[in-house]
Amino acid sequence: MSKKTISAQEAEQFLYLEAELLDDWRLPEWAELYSDDASYEVACPNADDPKTDSPATSLFLVSDRKDRIIGRAVRLMKKTAHAEYPHSKTRHLVTNVRLLESSADVAKVKANFCVYRTKEDNTVMYMGEFNYTLVRQDGELKVRLKRAILDLNSLYEQGRLTIIL
Amino acid sequence: MNDVSSPKRPHIDVDHEARRFRINRENYKSQEIFEREKELIFSRCWLYLGHASELPKKGDYVTRIVGGRQLIFAHGRSGELKAFFNSCTHRGATVCRERKGNKKSFTCCYHGWVFSNEGKLLSMNTDHGFPDDINADGNLNLRVVPRLEEYRGFYFVNYNPTAISLYDFLAGARDCIDAICDQSDSEMVILPGEHTYTIKANYKYLIENSSDGYHLLPVHATYFDYLNDRFKGTKDEGAVDKLVKGYYKMGQVRCLGNGHTILESMVPTGRPVASWIEPWGLEVKEEIDAIRDRLENKFGKERMEYISETQKNLIIFPNLVINDIQSITVRYIEPESHNFMRVTGWALGPAEESAKLKAIRLDNFVSFLGPAGFGSPDDIEMLEICQKGVEGSPIEWTELSKGMSESEDLLTRTGGPDDEVQFQAFWAQWDRVMRNLDKLEA
Repeated sequence: MSKKTISAQEAEQFLYLEAELLDDWRLPEWAELYSDDASYEVACPNADDPKTDSPATSLFLVSDRKDRIIGRAVRLMKKTAHAEYPHSKTRHLVTNVRLLESSADVAKVKANFCVYRTKEDNTVMYMGEFNYTLVRQDGELKVRLKRAILDLNSLYEQGRLTIIL
Repeated sequence: MNDVSSPKRPHIDVDHEARRFRINRENYKSQEIFEREKELIFSRCWLYLGHASELPKKGDYVTRIVGGRQLIFAHGRSGELKAFFNSCTHRGATVCRERKGNKKSFTCCYHGWVFSNEGKLLSMNTDHGFPDDINADGNLNLRVVPRLEEYRGFYFVNYNPTAISLYDFLAGARDCIDAICDQSDSEMVILPGEHTYTIKANYKYLIENSSDGYHLLPVHATYFDYLNDRFKGTKDEGAVDKLVKGYYKMGQVRCLGNGHTILESMVPTGRPVASWIEPWGLEVKEEIDAIRDRLENKFGKERMEYISETQKNLIIFPNLVINDIQSITVRYIEPESHNFMRVTGWALGPAEESAKLKAIRLDNFVSFLGPAGFGSPDDIEMLEICQKGVEGSPIEWTELSKGMSESEDLLTRTGGPDDEVQFQAFWAQWDRVMRNLDKLEA
């Protein structure tokens, strides 16, 4: 097993892979990027402290543990997930990737994002900051935590959040 | 204004004998009708403003848009909760631009007029030019909303000074609010965070959707698939199949007077108060059992079961939803035009709830509800395609006859959980108010 510290480049390439799987709607493969103890979270846009609030005490937009990460991927691939049928076109731009802490097994990573979503003739943007905890398990990088913090005060322009950020 | 009591075309078409109830689609797609709704519905009905638990301390405030008006809901220095129009009495600017906070006073940033958190004009930021007694009668204080009343912590405003009381307005809905609030041994509170989003559809489509048993299985198949997966290998395995086969036999819809309605149904989602499901683990079962015991001691077995097990989709006419389902959501709907609404959803729970149950409550909430849940977004899609469909179609009437009776009073009857009698009640009341037959005045 690799003892090499998780590098910035490795983390960055991993985030780009995740973005690509999402834009290609390869959602079952996307869910496999997450560890068994993973969380995928999107804080409320106007939360008091979206970086440190807990989904156990504050309402979030999304707070999925692994079973619902898989559930979300499974759901969104169905034609009966009406909000995303036909699938939106999306483009995930992930930039300003910064490695905050890193060891051979765990890394904390911050990145900026802008996701464009087009449904029918309308395009909206979701922008903000990702906070990741990445882990190396059996030689492969996995997401243990992904929290998206939106630079929004509401979903007034976006209407809803049915894609995965 | 035109004579509203006789619209060019009738708003609704009711034929008891033929058991037909139809809605003129202009009611969803006409901006002119929306303008009349602002005058007749949103200036005369009690509209939800906020919950007492949002303003626990003196000086706390939130700003809200209610029925098209910019309001400040504030906990004043005297300890009373008050509602003001958020508009400086000088030139009209909003005096508070934050969504919430704590302030002793509100200062207009245009010319520096200062108002206390009780609305009193404290300073005009000048010592000359104005008559000394210009505010002797208080006309330059922040304008207080004509009526502010509360029921069990839910505060409502009314822009008509001579409106009937909130108590009378709520009619049969009071007992449903009681059943929701009685979950708590102390008080119910709004939990931190809110979902604010928009839908490109007429607000009445969301009111209909929020208590529609008929749409549940076709629209929410993916949610029930998810529940089914969760229940595999637990005591609840098969509960979803049972629901699919028997939904229409379990529960009912009740019309509560004044256009308010409730859908009471049995859906195996688990409820933090107080229906346990196995995926939550045995450690919370004990706590939930204790809550059931407490409720039974206090209210008797039947009421305990109603509070604990029955899913409640409560519609308060014209634009508030309190759904006590897998979690409790308070959902306020603010129409902005005939085909666009702003929606705000909050989570409500007992103040004394344990950390574990509160986490389950919030998790259950986001599993289905809100603009990123597994349920609400599919509802939103339905409303938007309805709006698109009616706007692009010559069809004049929408069919809402399911469960229509031959004789009973539309405002107070009951029906099956997948009937449309709750919409018939809503629309019957809407028509009465829109035609000035019911002014909702004392």
